[in-house]
Amino acid sequence: VTGYSPAPVDRAPARPTGRPAPARRARAPRGTRLERFAPLVLVAPAVLIVLLLRLWPLLLGVNFSFTGDGARNGTAVGFDNYATLFDDPLFHTAVRNVGLLVLLLPVAVAIPGLLATFIHLKVPGHRIYRGVYFFPAVLSPVIVGAIFNLLLAFDGPVNAVLGLAGLGPVDWLGNPSVAIFAVVGVHVWATFGMALVVFLAGFSTLDSSLLDAAKVDGASLLQTIRHVIVPGLSRTIQFVFVTTMIGMLTSMFGLLYVMTNGGPAGSTYLPEFYVWFQQGHLNQPALASAASTVLFLIMLVVGLAQIGILRRAGRED
Amino acid sequence: MRGSRLTKWLAAIPMAALALATIYPLVFTANVAMKDRREYTLDRFAPAGALRWDNIARAWTSVGMSRYFLNSVVVVVCSVAVLLLLGSMAGFALGRLRFRGSSAVYLGILAALFVPFQVIMVPLARLMASTGLIDTYPGLVLAYVAQFLPFTVFLMTSFYSAVPPEIVDAARVDGSTVYGVYWRIMLPLGAPALLSVGVLNALFCWNDVLISLLLMPSAEHRTLMVGVTALRGQYSADIPTFASGVLIAAVPVLLVYLFLQRQIADGVTAGSTKG
Repeated sequence: VTGYSPAPVDRAPARPTGRPAPARRARAPRGTRLERFAPLVLVAPAVLIVLLLRLWPLLLGVNFSFTGDGARNGTAVGFDNYATLFDDPLFHTAVRNVGLLVLLLPVAVAIPGLLATFIHLKVPGHRIYRGVYFFPAVLSPVIVGAIFNLLLAFDGPVNAVLGLAGLGPVDWLGNPSVAIFAVVGVHVWATFGMALVVFLAGFSTLDSSLLDAAKVDGASLLQTIRHVIVPGLSRTIQFVFVTTMIGMLTSMFGLLYVMTNGGPAGSTYLPEFYVWFQQGHLNQPALASAASTVLFLIMLVVGLAQIGILRRAGRED
Repeated sequence: MRGSRLTKWLAAIPMAALALATIYPLVFTANVAMKDRREYTLDRFAPAGALRWDNIARAWTSVGMSRYFLNSVVVVVCSVAVLLLLGSMAGFALGRLRFRGSSAVYLGILAALFVPFQVIMVPLARLMASTGLIDTYPGLVLAYVAQFLPFTVFLMTSFYSAVPPEIVDAARVDGSTVYGVYWRIMLPLGAPALLSVGVLNALFCWNDVLISLLLMPSAEHRTLMVGVTALRGQYSADIPTFASGVLIAAVPVLLVYLFLQRQIADGVTAGSTKG
């Protein structure tokens, strides 16, 4: 859950700017200095920590990515690290895998969306599904990865089930062209409950008379989804898209570390794993910083593009 | 919807299958943890012949899971306490008091939500190393606080901005200082929000592996999740002991989930609706 950051980009500032309070200052009678600056005193520790340990390191990192590693430690090297990065086949794989994640994103959003729809429509057993589906989302990727190491073993349960159907066995984590799908699949298994809960919260705000009207009009399920649910939940869908993408880009480290360690043959590298490996194992922090900066840019571009696309789609409705 | 009853029953079948697929991995792991090695080799699917706790005991004592467990508990408790204190202070100031520039401060803190740890991990590790905080409990606690504070401030600000201002004014008329209002009124009043955000933060910290792996390199300082990853290398031939270690790390989360599921969901969905 680490990378899951539930913040709506576009409506965040609404609350605090809502009503400035000049009257408050006039009403505060006692004027000791500590008292007058109380709001600042209360907010200061949080601001200091965020500035020093979140925003300042971002600048440090970008700056650091233009210096050298090893013998060239500390000297300015311009864009050398970025050149190295774009020549590194491992980094190519990492970026290609990000592309794969972007392609799989609609599936990762549609599955919980559809499940939430059925739960909201009260399919038999709807009371228990939410609690059951949400559970893996609170487990650490390490635990999930460790469990799936056992399940996806060559002689493990998954292959046993496939064997019953006359399929397989598949070398889930040992085959370079399969492993990334196995890891992403496990990630989706572990996190779809998170998006499901968000969708259900969205449904609870949906005007139920619209659903009733669709029912009276004899709309099919697909028509209802298309004309009532999707427009009514556009905000929620946007939120889920962005948070799911952030989750894919920033919270798969634990799975990769436990399940494949980047292998086989580097096929399951993602940028976050590349950063960690360059920093922790190859002792190339400046190169790692360059990769971090690229990851940050990817996130910015993907995030802004998604918001833009979804906005436009919303307007056409 | 036409034929909706049939559709619902048809949908219920894959949904029930999915529910099974969600539960089974954990059941499988728990079952393996109860087997001895011979039993596991012969048939890994059959229910364990007896409830054997010796794998769990071995993982707890000789493998060192107890040490890792304690490390995790210390770090999580300290991190969550600091997060709740600083988060509620800032949330009260930004959501209820407000001051000139408070919306800019709020936006600045929100912006940090979009700076993932992976992007700042290299400079942060260097900062921690140069200040001697690397491989110490305070260093890891500070890193967790920095990581999850923006989210905490976000939730607490939206909670306190819904508190009626009259409450503050009444207390001020009674002669309370702003700090008194915070400590005696706002902190207790915020209990439901603090519980929700506290549980979520506890899960985040407990489940983390990357931050702890980076900032707590020595073996005796390992947190539980890093311990589980180490277990995999050490006990790759002894799967039941490995499964026991995984179970030890998962059970506290399972218990928290059983009792506080609603609070966790509230925290996760905060900010996704309304507006």
